[in-house]
Amino acid sequence: MKMSVDKDETLQRLKAAVHYTVGRLCQKTGEDHRREFSRQVIAAIAETTFRQCDIFAKDLEAFARHAKRSTVTTDDVKLVARRSTALSIYIQNKSEELNQEQKDLKKKNTGKRKSRETEEESRE
Amino acid sequence: MAERDAEIVFKKDTVHKLLSGFFKEEKTKRELYKSCPDLSDFPQTVCILVVILSLNKSLCVTVSGDAALLMAEMLKIFVEEAAVRSQKQAESEDCDEVEIEHFEKILPQLLLDF
Repeated sequence: MKMSVDKDETLQRLKAAVHYTVGRLCQKTGEDHRREFSRQVIAAIAETTFRQCDIFAKDLEAFARHAKRSTVTTDDVKLVARRSTALSIYIQNKSEELNQEQKDLKKKNTGKRKSRETEEESRE
Repeated sequence: MAERDAEIVFKKDTVHKLLSGFFKEEKTKRELYKSCPDLSDFPQTVCILVVILSLNKSLCVTVSGDAALLMAEMLKIFVEEAAVRSQKQAESEDCDEVEIEHFEKILPQLLLDF
């Protein structure tokens, strides 16, 4: 029973955190276009985002389970973004960007021999 | 899409308190701290939601660091799309402030697009 109380409390705090970030993002959009967002709208967007996050999380978990994995990976995220072509391409590019950053980091941290191995991997 | 220098960041302590309050297993805690970098609060939100959902079932699912970052991007795009579309709707109706009715009008298409 204690677990469910903690869970509710955590969910409430998460909602508050999402609300805060949504507020900041809306504020920035409002400044860019010189139109302010009413508090009601920000609350509505925050609630919608939280529910959408729930849907995403369910999908991600289902995809990982389907692939018989216990860890959600970037492939699962790419699947979640499949509905819109533009979004799909954007996520694909971001994912490659992240991979490239990691490879650059690897090259910096390790010696010449390791960097040769990394180049072979990217060719595959 | 929004620029990186306006990144909205949460206090790491807040999120760590959230995580440690919730996760009973040390191993899960350590994995999550390792895999969630502190860019914005969205990665942690997604990680926690996924783990909450999987707790009901026998298998515990965690989220890789990269996947969390990508999901944070997706959520950020979602919020920005919602904001920009609502704002455009307000603009087309010649309103000074973005009201709930503008958001309601763009909501169906937004949900279908995602």
